[in-house]
Amino acid sequence: MPLRKGRRRRRSAVQAPLRLTSMMDILTVLLLFLLKSFVAEGEVITPAPGVSLPESTSDTGPESSVVVAILDDRILLDGRQVAQVPAGAPGGDLLIPALAEQLDLSRSQGEAIATRRGDADSYAPKLAIQGDRDIPFALLQRVMYTCNHSGYGDIALVVLGAS
Amino acid sequence: MPARERRRRGFREVVADDVDLLPLMNLFVALIPMLLVSAVFLNITVIEMKAPGDEDAQARADQAREELALSVTISAERYVVEGNGVQTVSVQRADPAAAAQLAAALAAIAGEHPENHDVMIVSQADTRYEDIVGVMDISREAGLPGASLLAADRALN
Repeated sequence: MPLRKGRRRRRSAVQAPLRLTSMMDILTVLLLFLLKSFVAEGEVITPAPGVSLPESTSDTGPESSVVVAILDDRILLDGRQVAQVPAGAPGGDLLIPALAEQLDLSRSQGEAIATRRGDADSYAPKLAIQGDRDIPFALLQRVMYTCNHSGYGDIALVVLGAS
Repeated sequence: MPARERRRRGFREVVADDVDLLPLMNLFVALIPMLLVSAVFLNITVIEMKAPGDEDAQARADQAREELALSVTISAERYVVEGNGVQTVSVQRADPAAAAQLAAALAAIAGEHPENHDVMIVSQADTRYEDIVGVMDISREAGLPGASLLAADRALN
């Protein structure tokens, strides 16, 4: 309608930029904090999902190693489920064959890499156990026995240190 | 006057005087999730153990028979500290001061036998892993860093 059109005001195109300065401040602080924690940390071990590690006063840092996680009756090797041990399993043989098989494979791969690098003589297979705080000793015992059987003599029990 | 006329007409010239932060924001938005994923918020540490070979285990068992052979047995109700020539100490686990009593008993033995740094932690099949780690901590703080895990008659470490 021509009358209404004539009444309509002309609006000027005003640009309203976002004020990003305060957000930039937050992001800069966050970035610096994350960069610091990224640089300060040595070897990083991420707890397996679902594993609630026990707390300890130990302050020894973790080293690069093969990681075996024990969660309820499941055993994971480097994040992959390799065996299942029923909780009430009879305690005859301590060896867990499925885990032993995978550990042997992992150890032979480690040895092959060390041979290629030329330091096969100094190669010492290392293993870290991430056990849930509620697992019974019988299961831990079987896993440790199997690890030792597969040549992993250096075993580190992964715990949550006092913060 | 031209200025007054400009005000009257409502005309205003807008000058963008802010630095354009959007490219920097884009960079930050990409960097922060990447760093957040790799950031470690838990203080993860380890308790080092060495598993012995068969010969080592036998030699250690023979040696332990002759020496102090200090052990802490974790049962459902109590901690029992035993050893050759050591008075047996029993601590009720239900006691709120059980950890302190066990620490005091172990520290006293460690003080009497400064040459000994080892302790055997004897666990039942259903002993919780957390309880074992707790006794290992107490032993280490009492001056006995060399903890071995035992179950029934089998030495693990």
